[in-house]
Amino acid sequence: MSIALSAVNLKKNYNNVAAIKGINLEVKQGECFGILGPNGAGKSTLLKMIYGQVLPSSGDLFVLGLNTKDQFTEIKSRIGIVPQGDGLDTDFNAIENLKLFATYFKMNTNLALMRIEHLLHEMKLASHQYHHIDALSGGMRRRLAIARALLHDPEMLIMDEPTTGLDPQARLWIWTYFEKLKSQKKTIILTTHYMEEAEKLCDRIAIVDQGAILDLGTTTQLIQKYIGIEVIELEVGTEKNYWSVKIKSQGLDFQDFENKLFIYFQSVQQRQNFLEHIQNAHYLIRDANLNDVFLKAAGYQIRGNA
Amino acid sequence: MIQVWLRNFLFFKKTFLVSLFWTVFEPLMYLAAFGFGFGRYIPPIESLPFVDFYFPGLLCSSAMMVSYFESTYPNYTKLTHQKIFSTMLLTPLTHQQILMGEILWSATKGLLGASGVMLISVFFGLASFQFIFIMPILFLLSLIFAAFGMSIVSVAKNYDSFVFSTSGFIVPLSLISGTYFSLKDMPQLIQWLAYLFPLSHGVQLCRHLLYQKINFFTDSIHFLILLLYAGGLIFFANTLFRRKIVS
Repeated sequence: MSIALSAVNLKKNYNNVAAIKGINLEVKQGECFGILGPNGAGKSTLLKMIYGQVLPSSGDLFVLGLNTKDQFTEIKSRIGIVPQGDGLDTDFNAIENLKLFATYFKMNTNLALMRIEHLLHEMKLASHQYHHIDALSGGMRRRLAIARALLHDPEMLIMDEPTTGLDPQARLWIWTYFEKLKSQKKTIILTTHYMEEAEKLCDRIAIVDQGAILDLGTTTQLIQKYIGIEVIELEVGTEKNYWSVKIKSQGLDFQDFENKLFIYFQSVQQRQNFLEHIQNAHYLIRDANLNDVFLKAAGYQIRGNA
Repeated sequence: MIQVWLRNFLFFKKTFLVSLFWTVFEPLMYLAAFGFGFGRYIPPIESLPFVDFYFPGLLCSSAMMVSYFESTYPNYTKLTHQKIFSTMLLTPLTHQQILMGEILWSATKGLLGASGVMLISVFFGLASFQFIFIMPILFLLSLIFAAFGMSIVSVAKNYDSFVFSTSGFIVPLSLISGTYFSLKDMPQLIQWLAYLFPLSHGVQLCRHLLYQKINFFTDSIHFLILLLYAGGLIFFANTLFRRKIVS
């Protein structure tokens, strides 16, 4: 079995409003797959369908070869989930949270205790294991939620915005840890709106907006396809029209972003040629990144509901 | 299902004293004030001294109150603020198992509260071997009101929603169900109203069992009605709870 997840024309409507509009998707086993999108794009809804908190209106969804229509109990015994907001039980301390989860999974007690000790240690939580959940920092709580998701040694890990709201150190630690999980060939599906995170961790990325997949591929493929290799951020102020015409006449691709134009280049030579025509303007040259792809694919506008 | 029950039991162990205080001591205060205090001025009802007449009513309404309160406020907190049910759904636990675990726990607590009252009432000279027979009835009543509580939790908009079910239903029920007075002497309408709801059937059954006044036919009907209420409300709660946590 090499396909970990497969969605076929998956749809979800809430009171006749489409939240997911026919998604087709395949995730391979051992792959780290990123779902990227702005707030309200349908990322969480899609994830919740994988673990059964949202039921599809139509279409099919298979997880580890099992049908989500009637095999949720088995699916959930084989996947680990880190939900948004961690969902820790605030009536108990850190180690009790893990012990409780082990009972929910009907794990063998000795095995559970071994796993818990191992994970508390690995997640650098051993010295805080008897602390109440409210006494843990955001980073610790997230690490505890990850430990909890790994308790039953799942084949697949699903994480909804795993580093949102964390400080840079905590985020970096989690990224390093995910690299380790990837080396263990665990399938990882995560949502994020941090391009850096997706770029660093994910083998493939789906850009999702308004309930549909806009595009899908590796980071390199997407950047190559949408942007090229370099970007010049040109400050144009009130002379936007003048510059737009000028750039268009050179056959270059660009995006309009407030008082700047982002101009995309397929080669260094192309960029050099362009720069020869520029005088008296502020600009910045940088590598093309996933951010450019995302902004181009999903559009620049900040939506009213975002 | 049992894991959900166990989670609550583990939490109960931490908060044992608070729990004990309101579930057992509060009914005992009623027993002292109404049964022994107020009751001294009252002639026997259904040929029972008032305190004896009132005692099974108190046990039933305690079981109802404790299981109802245990299944409403704490579970609404788990549903909304703590998101514990959502977290449980990340595991192989199904929504039915969560619901049944919670109902079973609240019912356990209801029985525990009533049993505590029975235990202490021994010191007031109310001890009876018949206590053993009324325990299943108290548990059944607790199941009914736990399921009712979970139904309300599943449709509640906020904590204020429970004010309606408490003051509009639970409290009036504890007053009209033949707890403080004999239903036999009441107008037909009051009797009908009281027997429409489960508490009165529980009170009658317990009173008959406790004082060995069993009438096989009518008491079988009381028992059957309680069973129907339990089954119906659990089914109802299941439908509402599923709608609430799975979309």
